[in-house]
Amino acid sequence: MKHLKSFNKKAQLLDKAVTDGNTEDVVAMQTVVGCTSTNDPGWEVDPFGGLGSLCQPMESDLYGCADACWWPAQVPDTMSTHPGWSQDVAKANEDWRQIDSVFPDED
Amino acid sequence: MKLTHLYKVSAMALALGSTALLSGCASTGSGDTAMVAGKEYLLTSSRPNLLHVVDVETNQLLRSCKIPGIFGSNSIVSSPDGRIAYVLTNKWEDIYGFDITSCEKVFSAKQSYKNVQIKTIISLALSPDGEELYTVQNPVVKHADRFEVQQPRLAVFNTADGLDAKAKRFYPVDRRITKIGTMGNGEVILGGADLKAIDPQTGDIRLLKKLQNWQRPADKWVAPDAFAMQAQGEHVGEYILPYFTIKWNGAPGEMEKAEFWWGMNRIDLASGKLESNELVPFEFIFFNLVTDPNNPDIVYGAFNNLSKHSVGQQKTLATEDLDHTYYTINMTRDGSRLYVGGTSSDISIHDPETLKKVGSIQLPGDMSTADMRIARLRN
Repeated sequence: MKHLKSFNKKAQLLDKAVTDGNTEDVVAMQTVVGCTSTNDPGWEVDPFGGLGSLCQPMESDLYGCADACWWPAQVPDTMSTHPGWSQDVAKANEDWRQIDSVFPDED
Repeated sequence: MKLTHLYKVSAMALALGSTALLSGCASTGSGDTAMVAGKEYLLTSSRPNLLHVVDVETNQLLRSCKIPGIFGSNSIVSSPDGRIAYVLTNKWEDIYGFDITSCEKVFSAKQSYKNVQIKTIISLALSPDGEELYTVQNPVVKHADRFEVQQPRLAVFNTADGLDAKAKRFYPVDRRITKIGTMGNGEVILGGADLKAIDPQTGDIRLLKKLQNWQRPADKWVAPDAFAMQAQGEHVGEYILPYFTIKWNGAPGEMEKAEFWWGMNRIDLASGKLESNELVPFEFIFFNLVTDPNNPDIVYGAFNNLSKHSVGQQKTLATEDLDHTYYTINMTRDGSRLYVGGTSSDISIHDPETLKKVGSIQLPGDMSTADMRIARLRN
């Protein structure tokens, strides 16, 4: 944190909380929300508190969850605003590096 | 933005490469691969929006038909003669029918119009004679300043209307309907919060089985949670729907004493007879079930493993690890092969007796949530 300078009030409060040791620890979720709750494997557990019943690997489940809007926050909204996202990347497990982010239109 | 552009150029190059590869190993609509009446074919769909036809005798990909529009989520239903495959696509909005022997497009219907967006969440079925096609439409009017949600409805299309068909009849239905199927008497099964059936000639709806609204005491049982997504069961003529529930042997929420159960609703499409009961203790997840055509007491499930269960004994008989997660499962009519698909770009083939993997079919793209159906070609 020594290389970062808090810029606004919220950042200053967060900075102070970290300094005072008042921030809560980040812990794994204890319930399953859909197939996975974040587009970041390892942050969720299955109904048994383990990992064995999560979709494996995440790339096998990526399109299955994105296409049906299971992950409305972690991937672009393919149902309404970005229907073409990832359509030209045929295999998520082989071609995941080519799965792109989306950005606001410049104009 | 430059980085984004670079990625897109790379992706397009990859897509072109995939097309070239595809042309080399399967026909894409050329109609040069002979198909035989009486044989069965596996139908599924993948990115980049293709309908695949697989010969289940040789497990070879025969042809891949290009579907207009964007992939998603590509429910599939086959005509009674097995010749036409109807696909719900373009993000749950459009339906296309293809002659699977030639990839000729013989039916199309765009459900959205003007400022009315219509999504059909999985729901796709055909009348027993193949003359009518059913979807459950969820319309939303997109006004300039707000979205106006409309009443969901069963839409009825005449398949003989061919290209650019319009729905001929509408009947109001419940929300939350996904997997549908058609019974021998013509009624359409509506898989939603509860299982209901609608007469597509009159719109009359009757209750088949209460699920979310079942009458078991809330301090003893948790209302069932059903995953009604991919369709199967055509190899034995049934509609099958697993559910999950918890039995509280102590106070509600007292996990140490609780029993976790899979359950199963199974409807014989010819007679309309419905079975509904707990199936096996919940020890792992399966997304879908399929019945063994040689023994209705045996059902198979798939997700991270392939599993075999006895309905009568309420017991899991065997499991086999899978290479990765798969969503759906289907089976040939003679019961000789299990096909496990969905998610990625390979269909895993298994021996129902041992559950061991005996083969694999590679596709040019991911199947995601697409259906994997069995069609039997007739004259």
